Amino acid sequence: MRKAMTSRGILFLVLFPILVAALIFAVVMDVDETEELGPVEIREYEGKDLSSIDNFRENSIRGPQEIDVESYTLRITGLVANSTSYTYDEVLNRHQHYEKVVTLDCVEGWSVTILWEGLLVRDLLAEAEPLANAEVVIFHAYDGYTTSLPIDYIMDNDILMAYKMNDVILPPERGFPFQLVAESKWGYKWIKWITEIELSDDANYRGYWESRGYSNSADLDKGFFGD
Amino acid sequence: MVNQRLMKGTIHWLLTVLVIIYLITGFGITEYRIVEPLTFGLLTKSLAQKIHISLEIPFIILLILHIWLLPLLKYFKSKKLRNN
Repeated sequence: MRKAMTSRGILFLVLFPILVAALIFAVVMDVDETEELGPVEIREYEGKDLSSIDNFRENSIRGPQEIDVESYTLRITGLVANSTSYTYDEVLNRHQHYEKVVTLDCVEGWSVTILWEGLLVRDLLAEAEPLANAEVVIFHAYDGYTTSLPIDYIMDNDILMAYKMNDVILPPERGFPFQLVAESKWGYKWIKWITEIELSDDANYRGYWESRGYSNSADLDKGFFGD
Repeated sequence: MVNQRLMKGTIHWLLTVLVIIYLITGFGITEYRIVEPLTFGLLTKSLAQKIHISLEIPFIILLILHIWLLPLLKYFKSKKLRNN
């Protein structure tokens, strides 16, 4: 018994200083390492619980895109009287900003409720002056993705082109610089990394997923297959 | 007895095949960037989703049968014996 106690004592004498040294080392290392804080998103807005910007599932066609804000331009083309091109700052500074809590529902079965901040697509189109025969608004993304919406849907609803979500500038994986907030439409209409807005008279135009079997109208109250 | 074994075997294998298809089509929806080229473009995201959705009810039926078929058959058999 006495021998055993002695062995334990020796073990304690050896292990204790090691443990203390390890603890001190860990604390010192932790203090020395300066961690950069990420942007702080809000998770509640006017009594509504919001999802996190990390609750999205990455399902874009070519993965997250990195867009250089210095060389970025947003073009408004097609059936418009004034084809226009904006820099990122011009888009932000020349237009009224709006906030709205909207839920994105993905065909995969998940959904996220986010406070979106952006400008109305309607305001951008008004500056470009759509021609009378323009029926469809085709959105083009940096990664080649496209989707379309009827011009009436854009003009009659407050459809945002968001640059912030939950009070945080869109991160690259969420569609920086701009994501469409196509409320009451399935998630594949919420195009990210928008680079061009084209007006067209082709009512039969189908975007990336629409040409692969998903509904062109994409109304949330209907299924996501079909027309 | 032979019929019971045949039924059990059929349900077992059908359920196995269905679970495998269910898994593959599930990946076809969420991991379409991998599954589509692996299947040489045959299993697209929309096709995978159509198959996946259409398999929900058969999957539930087969699963219930898989769990309850033998106990139910045993119950009916014992009831029949008792009545005789």
